[in-house]
Amino acid sequence: MAQTQLDAILASINNVILGKQHPIKLALTCLLARGHLLIEDLPGVGKTTLAHTIASTLGLTFQRIQFTSDMLPADIIGVSVYERDSGRFGFHPGPVFTQLILADEVNRASPRTQSALLEAMEEQQVTVEGTTHTLSSPFFVIATQNPANQIGTFPLPESQLDRFLMRIELGYPDAKAERALLLGQDRRQLLRELQAVVSVEDLQTLQEQVTDIHVSNALVDYVQRILSHTRDSGHYHSGLSPRAGLGLLRAGQAWAMLEGRDHVLPEDIQAVLPSIVSHRLQRRDEDSPEDWIDQLIRQVAIP
Amino acid sequence: MAKADTSPDHHAMNQLIIALFIGALPHFVYQPFWVGLAFMVMIGWRLLHSYRGWPLPAASRWLKILHNGTAALMIVLIFGQFGLTIGRDAGAALLTIMLAFKVVEIRSLRDFYLSCYLGFFLVITNFFYSQSMLMVALMLLVVVLLTGCLIGVNSESSAMPLKRRLKLSTQMVLQAIPVMLILFVLFPRISGPIWGLPQDASTATTSTMPEQITLGEMPSQTGTTGMSEAIQMGKISQLIQSDEIAFRVEFENDVLPPASARYWRGPVLWQTNGTVWSPLPKSERSQATPQIGVRGSAYQYTMTLEPHNKRWLFALDIPTEKPAVIPAYLTSDAELHSQKRIKNRAQYTLESHTDYQLNAGGDPNLWAALQLPEGQHPRTRQLASDWIQQSQGPEQYIDRVLSFFNQENFVYTLTPPVLQGDTVDQFLFESREGFCEHYAASFTILMRAAEIPARIVTGYQGGEVNPVDNVLTVRQRDAHAWSEVWLPERGWVRIDPTSAVSSQRVEQGMADILPADRTSPRLIAQNDALVQVWRDLRNNWNAINTAWDIWIVGYGPQIQKTFLSRLGMDNPDWRKMAVILTLLLALTGIVMLLLSYYRRAHPDPAVRLYTIFCQKLARLGLNKGEHEGPLDFAVRAQNELPQYQHQIAAITRLYSELRYRHPSDALLSELETQIKQFQPRQ
Repeated sequence: MAQTQLDAILASINNVILGKQHPIKLALTCLLARGHLLIEDLPGVGKTTLAHTIASTLGLTFQRIQFTSDMLPADIIGVSVYERDSGRFGFHPGPVFTQLILADEVNRASPRTQSALLEAMEEQQVTVEGTTHTLSSPFFVIATQNPANQIGTFPLPESQLDRFLMRIELGYPDAKAERALLLGQDRRQLLRELQAVVSVEDLQTLQEQVTDIHVSNALVDYVQRILSHTRDSGHYHSGLSPRAGLGLLRAGQAWAMLEGRDHVLPEDIQAVLPSIVSHRLQRRDEDSPEDWIDQLIRQVAIP
Repeated sequence: MAKADTSPDHHAMNQLIIALFIGALPHFVYQPFWVGLAFMVMIGWRLLHSYRGWPLPAASRWLKILHNGTAALMIVLIFGQFGLTIGRDAGAALLTIMLAFKVVEIRSLRDFYLSCYLGFFLVITNFFYSQSMLMVALMLLVVVLLTGCLIGVNSESSAMPLKRRLKLSTQMVLQAIPVMLILFVLFPRISGPIWGLPQDASTATTSTMPEQITLGEMPSQTGTTGMSEAIQMGKISQLIQSDEIAFRVEFENDVLPPASARYWRGPVLWQTNGTVWSPLPKSERSQATPQIGVRGSAYQYTMTLEPHNKRWLFALDIPTEKPAVIPAYLTSDAELHSQKRIKNRAQYTLESHTDYQLNAGGDPNLWAALQLPEGQHPRTRQLASDWIQQSQGPEQYIDRVLSFFNQENFVYTLTPPVLQGDTVDQFLFESREGFCEHYAASFTILMRAAEIPARIVTGYQGGEVNPVDNVLTVRQRDAHAWSEVWLPERGWVRIDPTSAVSSQRVEQGMADILPADRTSPRLIAQNDALVQVWRDLRNNWNAINTAWDIWIVGYGPQIQKTFLSRLGMDNPDWRKMAVILTLLLALTGIVMLLLSYYRRAHPDPAVRLYTIFCQKLARLGLNKGEHEGPLDFAVRAQNELPQYQHQIAAITRLYSELRYRHPSDALLSELETQIKQFQPRQ
């Protein structure tokens, strides 16, 4: 049951976004693990389309927030406005009150605005003038970020990055996928025609089932080894946080579920590891090779 | 309302019942029949409950009364049978019966544990009766089964298969062996049987060398009752019926005296009333130490004497050195006596000469060697006085007597006719069928009648050498009696009149005299080749038994002392032993801790099995990276060895299920078989 639903979701998304099976699977993993996703890539590779496709496929209400440098927190959260009719202040919810938010180019906004979103992500609620408003459930943020070397950006600080469960890159499509893309239908047209594959309730059931995926002691040992390696090996400025460890385990569970298993294997952890640690770990040796995450995996023996 | 029944399932119960049944089995033989009967009835009740749903005592008040009442009746029966002193037998019977009653009562895990632990006590009681290898093997089995029961009710997944449970319990029992060995070797030994009850100690051996020998019918006036009568009635021919081991001898450098020279001296008999021969009372005998002159080389040997509850220590002829470990002395008639009665198997080293002169210069007890019963044996005395007049000197007279035995129609038989009246006269002139005691006694009378000092020496002659370990085993059936005469200048000279009648007895030993089916089963005795095989088997078995008896069962205070001083521990006393024992036990504990720490690296049996699988692939050059997950490795291996892809997939699936999903014994044993069957070749 769960497996057919998951397969249908993946097929539907892959039908719109061509040649990106792995990042899409990771994105879905992140969503199933109730984490938020950070997509970091150049403009025009399909970040927005991906977010949109996910929302449509899962039947989630969708809001896109284009971050700009002059944006204020109220533009995201909403404002209290004095209403003449009732003679009191009424809360006008901002775009954050939706199930899936695409926070586009989040690094263009000022740190103050960024943190308003990130705090909302973490707490699942916002407080405006002493009143607490619960955000919708499920609540999933896909933030996109242009590579930091572009002009006029405020890169997210490390402490904020930790709030994203995963960071992925889409990259250019390969030649075959690109050709299909160029020859195929208009993506916007496709998106408009897209039908929800599962209901919101189904999605929440799936998210609950993720926590039932069995985690053995042996696997926890492995995760602990990875954590202590990042802390003790001296390759990184600071090791992974316990939150990162929990996220790694949860993402591993979701990945195992997508793989059709009811228990987590070290391979699942290894599959999600790069997207979980790449934005959290800062290497001491800046000149280290591109595949440093593979090296990290190779350095930790499976117990 | 009674509490709910929380006893383990009937598989665990059955295993416990089997273990206890085997443990109690020897008691069916050692104890009165009703002990075994009560045990079987109670066990049967429990089995009927398991299989037929019969109610247990807890089900109703009447059944409870029946159960408890029978138990009380059993206690009364035990008192009736064994009296009020709780000795070995009563204790063992009580434990056996009460254990069976407990099994019927088991209603909780706690009861189950109690029965298991009582079962271990039951194992111990069996060693009060027998310490043979067979018993040890049987009791080891019981210990393994009982440990398996404990594992069964404690294992995390109760579905642990029986085979694995027993394997684990065997391993645990084997792991206990180092500690057992240390305790065995070093634990200070107490002399005397543990149970220490007089009636038990005296039943330890059934046949011993008699203190007196009796010819013919016992004169009625000396008849007493009980044990002492049996001893007084002692006849060596009765001893011949027994194949029990008297002692074993190991000669240094395997230098053995020839068969005809193997005379093991025991009690010396001087006094006779015509029927009964007995030793010289201590008060009448001179306490002078014997004068011994020796020629030739000596035999060095170690004796292992079975307990006989008497003081004498047997020795080859005259021992020229006293045993080092047992306080002993040589009497004036050259018997080797221990200070204490031999109640445990004793081991001592001696030196003897077979070419010796004993009291050649004169013997203060010679007067007793001429004593004749008043007014008896007239015909014998007449014969002696005739012959001594015809002879020149005692040597010629002795030859005359020996040729009389040899040439007249004397018969050597184990079943002589019963002699009545004047035993010696009757034997020499009428029946002429006799056994060593008859020949020795009548020869001695003939000597004394001719004024030649003579006495009877009892002991053993011969023995069987086991070619496997060169140990000479002397059994009760080798018991013998011969004469010694005192000749001027030569001292006491051994004369064996039996050899004049049946040289076979002395030269070949007793085994040749006995009917063939005493030494090998009748069916085998027909076929020479089979007899040879049988003999080899028996020799090997005897050699093992000898080692077992001497080193394991006989490991008492003396052997411990000898052994420890051989290990370089001078003058071992219990304090030293306690210190070393503590140190060694601590060392064992540390080693076991280290071992368990080392094993902690791979506490998961699935990983240990999977490692074997990886090693098999590594031989083909497929090395699993330490960071490589099982699935990734399987994919790689399947690409390299497509012909084994199904096996690899199955093993990997089992392993990852076991390791990362749910450990289960069924899957584990399947993984074990799969990996055993997996024999990859390039």
